[in-house]
Amino acid sequence: MRAFIAYLRRDLWSPYVAGALLGLVAVMTLWSTTKLDNMPARLPGASGSFQNLAAYLGQELTSTQKVLTEGGAPITVPREGLEEQFIYFAFTMPKGITWQVWMIIGVFLGSLVSALLSGGFRISVMPHTTQWQTIFGPQPWKRWVLVFIGGIILQVAAGIAGGCTSGLAISGGVQLTPAAFLFIAGMFISGIPTALLVYRRRY
Amino acid sequence: MEPLDQSVWELGPIVVALIMGFLFGFALDKGGMTRYHKIVNVFRFTDLAVLKFMMSAMVTGMVGIYLLVWAGEVELTAITPTIPIKNFAGGLLFGVGMSLVGMCPGTMVSGAARGQLDYLIPGFGGFLTGALLYGFLYPTITDLFAGFKDYGNAKLPELWGLSTVLTVLVFAEAIILMLYLIQRLNLRRKDRLAAES
Repeated sequence: MRAFIAYLRRDLWSPYVAGALLGLVAVMTLWSTTKLDNMPARLPGASGSFQNLAAYLGQELTSTQKVLTEGGAPITVPREGLEEQFIYFAFTMPKGITWQVWMIIGVFLGSLVSALLSGGFRISVMPHTTQWQTIFGPQPWKRWVLVFIGGIILQVAAGIAGGCTSGLAISGGVQLTPAAFLFIAGMFISGIPTALLVYRRRY
Repeated sequence: MEPLDQSVWELGPIVVALIMGFLFGFALDKGGMTRYHKIVNVFRFTDLAVLKFMMSAMVTGMVGIYLLVWAGEVELTAITPTIPIKNFAGGLLFGVGMSLVGMCPGTMVSGAARGQLDYLIPGFGGFLTGALLYGFLYPTITDLFAGFKDYGNAKLPELWGLSTVLTVLVFAEAIILMLYLIQRLNLRRKDRLAAES
């Protein structure tokens, strides 16, 4: 028991052990959501939850209030030219605290507990390793601008592909869907030259 | 008043989401996925933790899920459709972003929980902005990929006409062999970033 607690307090596990836990999470998620007959069977995923959250604003931006009959109550209608976008935000990926949003709340709590147990929790504004600073310098704003742009790229890319590293690569891969392996291939084919270009021989 | 077990039952999905999310987040942090350099360095072959983590998850999950399928416990319905050009193009764009900032949607949330404000503020803001942008581009993107072949929910064993048992065994063994080779190669190379983690 003490050895187990000591292991939970470690900063890093062997990536094989941590990965195996993630694999088990995928299995347990599918099993438990199949057993619950008040929801569809699901596997872990992250990117979809951001679509549900963004839809709060998306629905506002693509709709307008209109009074159709004289003296009647105004109703919500799509803005002209944005009908398809409205359908997306209202029905395809509707706003709401969906099952997936609850899952990323769980992800946040799990990582928080892990970081608190290991003492890794620390308020910081940018990576405190020399690796980032050698390439991009010590100014936090550069990191913040790049992360913001990177976030946009990642979320649009996940939308195009049909999921992200968790929802498509892992959850699709464990079910042997071709989509997952095509996504992983694409991710490495572009990720490797990007990293080489950013770093060259400087670090 | 509703009977107690009924309301507990209705909370089931949320409880499952929170518990599974919790373990998911715990695994991400213990695997080192909440750190910029860990993710970036997999693309530079100087730290292969991401690859080991993903492959280990893949083998465990694949074997576990197909055991449940063979036991008749689950059906594979939660599947991302395969539209090869679309999945691949999305992957290409995703790799650029991941390599630049060292995070992906799940690890952004996870990294924010370590107290890293660059994950929490521009990270979360960027992902939400991206989600909004994707919604606005949705019709355009749908049109762009409309003409390409769509395999729907097909899985590799069906496409290749192999039994699922054989495919799972071949994949699991191929991944384990790759992990073994990676481990061998890794032992021979000095990991100069080890001290930094």
